[in-house]
Amino acid sequence: MTPPPPVLVAEGASKAYADLVALAPLDLTVEAGETVALVGHNGSGKSTFLRLAAGLLDLTDGAITVAGAPAGASDARAAISFLPDEPVLYDDLSVREHMAYVAALHGSRIDDDGIDAIIERVELGHRADDLPSRFSRGLRQKASIALGLVRPFRVLLVDEPFVGLDASGKAAFLDILDELRGSPDHAVLVATHDPNFVERADRCVALHDGEVVHDGPATPDEVLRLVSH
Amino acid sequence: MLTADPTADLERSLVEWRRFRERLRISEIHWIDALYSAYLTALFGLIAVGVAAGYIGDTALTPAQLVQVGADGPAWVGGVAAVAVAFGLRSGSRGGPLALERAEVRHVLLAPVDRATALRAPVLRQLRFLTFVAAVVGGIIGFLASDRFPGDTLGWSATGAIAATTALGLAYGAALVASGSRLPRWGASIAGIVLIAAWLAHAVGLAPISPTAPFGHMVLWPLRFEPLGLVPVVVAVVIVGIGVRLLSGTSLEAAERRSSLVGQMRFAATMQELRTVVVLRRQLSMELPRLRPWLRLRVRGSGGLPFVMRGLRGVLRWPAARIARLVLLTVVTGLALRGVWAGTTALIVLAGLAMFVAGLDAVEPLAQEIDHPSRRDSSPRAAADIHLRHLVVGAVVMVVASVLVAVVASVPGPGALPFDVAAALVASIALAGLGGAVISVLGGEVNLAGNWMTTPPEAQGMRIAFRTAWPPGVAVLGAAPVLLARAAVDRGAEALPGAAPGVIGIVVLFGAIALWVRVRDQVASSLKASFEQASAQRTTPVSEDGRS
Repeated sequence: MTPPPPVLVAEGASKAYADLVALAPLDLTVEAGETVALVGHNGSGKSTFLRLAAGLLDLTDGAITVAGAPAGASDARAAISFLPDEPVLYDDLSVREHMAYVAALHGSRIDDDGIDAIIERVELGHRADDLPSRFSRGLRQKASIALGLVRPFRVLLVDEPFVGLDASGKAAFLDILDELRGSPDHAVLVATHDPNFVERADRCVALHDGEVVHDGPATPDEVLRLVSH
Repeated sequence: MLTADPTADLERSLVEWRRFRERLRISEIHWIDALYSAYLTALFGLIAVGVAAGYIGDTALTPAQLVQVGADGPAWVGGVAAVAVAFGLRSGSRGGPLALERAEVRHVLLAPVDRATALRAPVLRQLRFLTFVAAVVGGIIGFLASDRFPGDTLGWSATGAIAATTALGLAYGAALVASGSRLPRWGASIAGIVLIAAWLAHAVGLAPISPTAPFGHMVLWPLRFEPLGLVPVVVAVVIVGIGVRLLSGTSLEAAERRSSLVGQMRFAATMQELRTVVVLRRQLSMELPRLRPWLRLRVRGSGGLPFVMRGLRGVLRWPAARIARLVLLTVVTGLALRGVWAGTTALIVLAGLAMFVAGLDAVEPLAQEIDHPSRRDSSPRAAADIHLRHLVVGAVVMVVASVLVAVVASVPGPGALPFDVAAALVASIALAGLGGAVISVLGGEVNLAGNWMTTPPEAQGMRIAFRTAWPPGVAVLGAAPVLLARAAVDRGAEALPGAAPGVIGIVVLFGAIALWVRVRDQVASSLKASFEQASAQRTTPVSEDGRS
């Protein structure tokens, strides 16, 4: 039996702004069922890679395919759920309205109870009808996480998810990532230095100045060494 | 785990949700706010019409003037279309013309919804609104023009409306095509420059025709109907159609950058924070300093002139786009000065404004000190001293730019300035451009807090108007010696002695500005202390024996 094709493949993917290289040509493959921690010092290219894979940035060179489709194409957009480091939300929609909107835009098979369940899961049940644009950073991050989960996906890309989250919010999100880890159809790629997540990840990919310097399991101590200059 | 419904109509969902948000938005508008907006729009509209009426005038043209308009008008008026298309191309190459909500980029354009469908509605909504505005503005200008030109009012009004909507269509369509086809910024700039150069060449008689001349024929339809004038109308419709078809090619990277910056730029422009507008505009056009300077200066051993060296290092990292813009501004200034010398006095404003914009680039090191005052204030030197020292490199940049202006202005040809006058102008346009930029950067936004809160609105309005007009006004003054030289020649005198008092006056004015930079903090703190002292005296209770 042939193994399923990888859900995310980067071949020589690079990004430059004029003479500033944000990501040197990168080769990376993520298989379905994998949970990958993406680590690296500030400016190493982690966020750039995630944005390229999500289709938010245009590649300077190389290629990225998501579930067999070029990054940014309609099929790739359907397969990727991207949680940015800075939540981006509408000013005039409540959390519940946000959820219903995003679910509708992705043709998600989810009813109101399902939406409420996700909202409860990220500990926003008591604020479900409030405007997230008026939330604190941590609450907006929780709303952003809920939006990332309300739609179907094959690959979950997460950029620095634990910044601003309180202890219980962080634990809740780690539980969600653990559940995804058991799914053979999903892959999770998280850019973070958080030791709690790095320990749970199947692989740790370390970037240094836009190049892969480590690819495999890593302990938190190794991560500290890898992200130092 | 969630699954997607393959039969779901995503585009229909998008339409329904947009309607829902529109209803939400409308329901939140209070009728008092709507009424106030309508009142303000009507008020400013009336003021604009009054100003336009004064500018256009109501004296009928003489037969000789009409002949000249018929002969030269189409070529010159074609410039409107050339500038419109160039503007549209540049806007499109930077993700325009739409500036979507950032959340719309993240949630709608990253969803598997057809991107062309998602973008078509906001494009058509924006186009509809702009078309209405253009038709009204164009119709009013046509109506006012009918006082001066033969022909019926209705014809001029209709032609004005058609011309304005056509110019809008050309600009908007060019932007859509540039955005959808991902035209690189340099490509857009070159195409725009070529178009404007072709128009100028035709207008001054160096070329027999230009691509934008048919637009000029259309504007003059009430004088003489030329079928050629239909061409821009057809081109505008076709180019908008092509642009809409190319919508799916819109770059998300450009769209997101634009969505986050354009809103801030509009707010900064409303608050008259020119420096913020400059910085945001650079971010929008990705105008980043070079990692490798054009020339690497020695880091060690340059401690004697830290501010000069810092300024030079900044200039040596200018991106090619900024250098190209500076060169373009010098060419524009030079050509405008030739126009002034040839008799078109109003071009002095264009020359001054171009040097003012160049000055804003030249004072970048000073502007960065103002952007980060805590860093400056941690220095043992007085802030005023630091500001003054930063002017050295700015002056060098402006002198180099002004030498280029002098070359363009004095190259033999139509409207060429005498070489000695052009050389004398180097000092005045350089120092005036720099002075205007320094006043703008150091002045910052207009602050109506503090003591100004107690002044009447008329005084505050006057202050805002003065603060807005004064910095570019100083730059315009720098070109005034050309007028003096022209007046001297008109009365049969030598040009250079005629211009000299103006140049000397500008040098003295710049000296005053430099002095202001040096003492403004001291004066401000003295005034503040005086106010506080006077205020304290007013509020101190007086005892029965008359002593406070």
